[in-house]
Amino acid sequence: MKKLLILPVALAALLAGGAVRVVQDQCGPFTDVTPAFCPYILELYYLGVTAGTSATTFSPDDPLTRGQGSVFVAKGLNQALARSSRRAALGQWWTTKTQNALGSTTVGANPVFTVADGADVWVTFSEHVLRVRASDARILETWTGATQLNGAIVAAMGQVFVTGYSAGGNHWAIFRIDPSQSDTTMADVATIPSPISIAFDGARLWTANGDSRSISITTPGPTLPWSTTTVNPPDLGETFYLTFDGAHMWVTATNQQFVEFDEAGNILRSVPLDFGSNLGKPVFDGANFWIPDFGHNAVIVVRASDGTVVTTLTAAEMVTPTIAAFDGTRVLVSCTDGVFLWNAADLTPIGFTPTGAASSPYGSSSDGINFWIPLEGIDQLVRF
Amino acid sequence: MRVSSSVRPLFLVTVVICAVLAGGAARIVQDQCGPFTDVSPGFCPYILELYYLGVTAGTSATTFSPDDPLTRGQGSVFVAKGLNQALARSSRRAALGQWWQPRYFLWNEGLAVTPLPDVVLGPVLSDGADVWVGGSTSVFRVRASDAKLLDTWTIASPAGAMLSAMGRIFVAGGSFVPESGVLYMIDPSAPPGAATEVATLPSFVMGIAFDGSRIWTANDVSVSIITPSATLPWPVTTVTTGIQFPSGAAFDGQNIWLTDTGACALFKLDGSGAIAQTVGLGTAPCPLYAPVFDGSNILVPAGDSLRVVHANDGTLAATIPIPTGAALVSFGGERILVESFAGGQNAPRGLTLLRAADFAVLQSEGFPGIGGPEVGGIASDGVNFWVTFRQTDWVLGRY
Repeated sequence: MKKLLILPVALAALLAGGAVRVVQDQCGPFTDVTPAFCPYILELYYLGVTAGTSATTFSPDDPLTRGQGSVFVAKGLNQALARSSRRAALGQWWTTKTQNALGSTTVGANPVFTVADGADVWVTFSEHVLRVRASDARILETWTGATQLNGAIVAAMGQVFVTGYSAGGNHWAIFRIDPSQSDTTMADVATIPSPISIAFDGARLWTANGDSRSISITTPGPTLPWSTTTVNPPDLGETFYLTFDGAHMWVTATNQQFVEFDEAGNILRSVPLDFGSNLGKPVFDGANFWIPDFGHNAVIVVRASDGTVVTTLTAAEMVTPTIAAFDGTRVLVSCTDGVFLWNAADLTPIGFTPTGAASSPYGSSSDGINFWIPLEGIDQLVRF
Repeated sequence: MRVSSSVRPLFLVTVVICAVLAGGAARIVQDQCGPFTDVSPGFCPYILELYYLGVTAGTSATTFSPDDPLTRGQGSVFVAKGLNQALARSSRRAALGQWWQPRYFLWNEGLAVTPLPDVVLGPVLSDGADVWVGGSTSVFRVRASDAKLLDTWTIASPAGAMLSAMGRIFVAGGSFVPESGVLYMIDPSAPPGAATEVATLPSFVMGIAFDGSRIWTANDVSVSIITPSATLPWPVTTVTTGIQFPSGAAFDGQNIWLTDTGACALFKLDGSGAIAQTVGLGTAPCPLYAPVFDGSNILVPAGDSLRVVHANDGTLAATIPIPTGAALVSFGGERILVESFAGGQNAPRGLTLLRAADFAVLQSEGFPGIGGPEVGGIASDGVNFWVTFRQTDWVLGRY
């Protein structure tokens, strides 16, 4: 076979060289493009953004209609997103489709939530937190020191924070994990009234406090305990899942509300949702919130800039959607015994992947390459 | 420097006047939308962003002419420049402040190289954190952050292709004489040892790809589809119809693409392995090597050039001449690195770096005095390219 290749190599070199020169003189297939515009038009042609106005013309002086302009920008944006993902650099263009294709690790009874810190994945259980190396899913450490961890977890300031009950202090608290320390005991850093979820705004930790109908804002400081301010906005109802959009904190609340706060915890906006909605944990994708609604087996998409309900997504396989996660291009929603994926750019469905009978996928997260899904029912952490 | 009481009133007045003027000036500038005097506030943030990014300079020093129609050419410039900015700023190299382009290639002193103890090194792969290198009897795990050799796994047959999927590392290889093929699996979370054989294949494996549920291998004279299962060995379906001498496989998110040197063609396969589309790349037979998908195109190293095929319709969009020859290709998001086949008559072993947006050659350099009969490997981890090459012994270099 190798002998056969030698002559064709030389022939191909001659032929290819000639062909390329002609093509470059013409700006790819186009004969009507000036050299100044050529690199940009050729880039869009190579990327599949445009095919020109005919096989040999681009018509660069024709006016660009709003429709054509939209196609250019949307396709260009999609290319930027696709090529800038870490999966692109690693050549991982697939989407996992079957249960057997999930890389799984046994992590112990009832994993609930996950968060990625960029290198490792942290998994919450009822009384401990597991540190798992993202590159190979090796279990590194077990952190203890709290009881009744409710799953709320956030990675911020080079540390990891969870909420739970402090048996020693006899109160609900924020616990801090310092991954650089060899002592794997979580530190009680702030007293909080019955926290349900936790989020970070760049300076302060926020907790939504469930049936206490309040929001707490904790400011990290040099000494413990950290100071906490708790606000009870009127008509808020019970507060559940916090999500930060880069400017403001939002929370899901009873009475079918999705509520935006100012920095002091005052309500800026309340987005009313359909009657009967039961809201799971949202995720922010840079423009919109994706809010699982297990009351309607739907995902509600809310635009962060103005609170508009952009659309409500449904799919036959999406039963009891609870937790949403975003990896830069895709949104994953945990459902009954499987996960449903959507394209974040155009909100089109990618499809449903089963995770096994009674597997109960729950608090998923992304590390930028993979989604990590705790299968609460079968004690597994799977990589998607 | 203290200000005496006698001059304080004058100083204060001056400060106030300056503040007023500055405020006024700032307001005027903001009203003007940067240098432009004809942009309304509703459009200003977006136009200003394009101005700051260098996407547009306006229609004059002070005008943008926002109500003028845009030509298709102007629109293309806007979109292409915007896309390039998005790619450049969202890369890991940007976040790490690594804006440089290496000025030289592998043999230069000071380049990070890691000696790897095997007689031959084959495929290279990144799993996002570590780099994996397949050899004739070993698979090496090297930490990407500092190029430290971490683990060594053993394999019974030489590696021909590697894949990171499902949290595992897959190594496919075999031998030509006697003809045999094998697929190994490595669990990176387990202690290093012998790789697990998960499937037997009909012949040596030249390329490997994953479609989200099944592993595809390009064998010497066939294609195999392996379905991961709960028990070993995993079931294998082998397809030969229409296939002559496959040299590699790639997945584009929808379909598997196969290069075939015997047919001098790129095949798009359907889900069962049947040929759904044939893209002719010259007169058969011809040199074609393992393809790579760049998000839009299938890139096929073809000895002296890189063939660019639109994945959406199979159009041969371009043939890019590669000065140093093209046998191995890796896509890093913004850049493409092409390595030559060792010792080709018209393709001295060497590296060529291309800009992925328009395939412009950024850097190209031959390897005088370096090379040999073995093909090394090439991969990207999103920050660096990793290349195996041979000086006296085999090493892994970071570029």
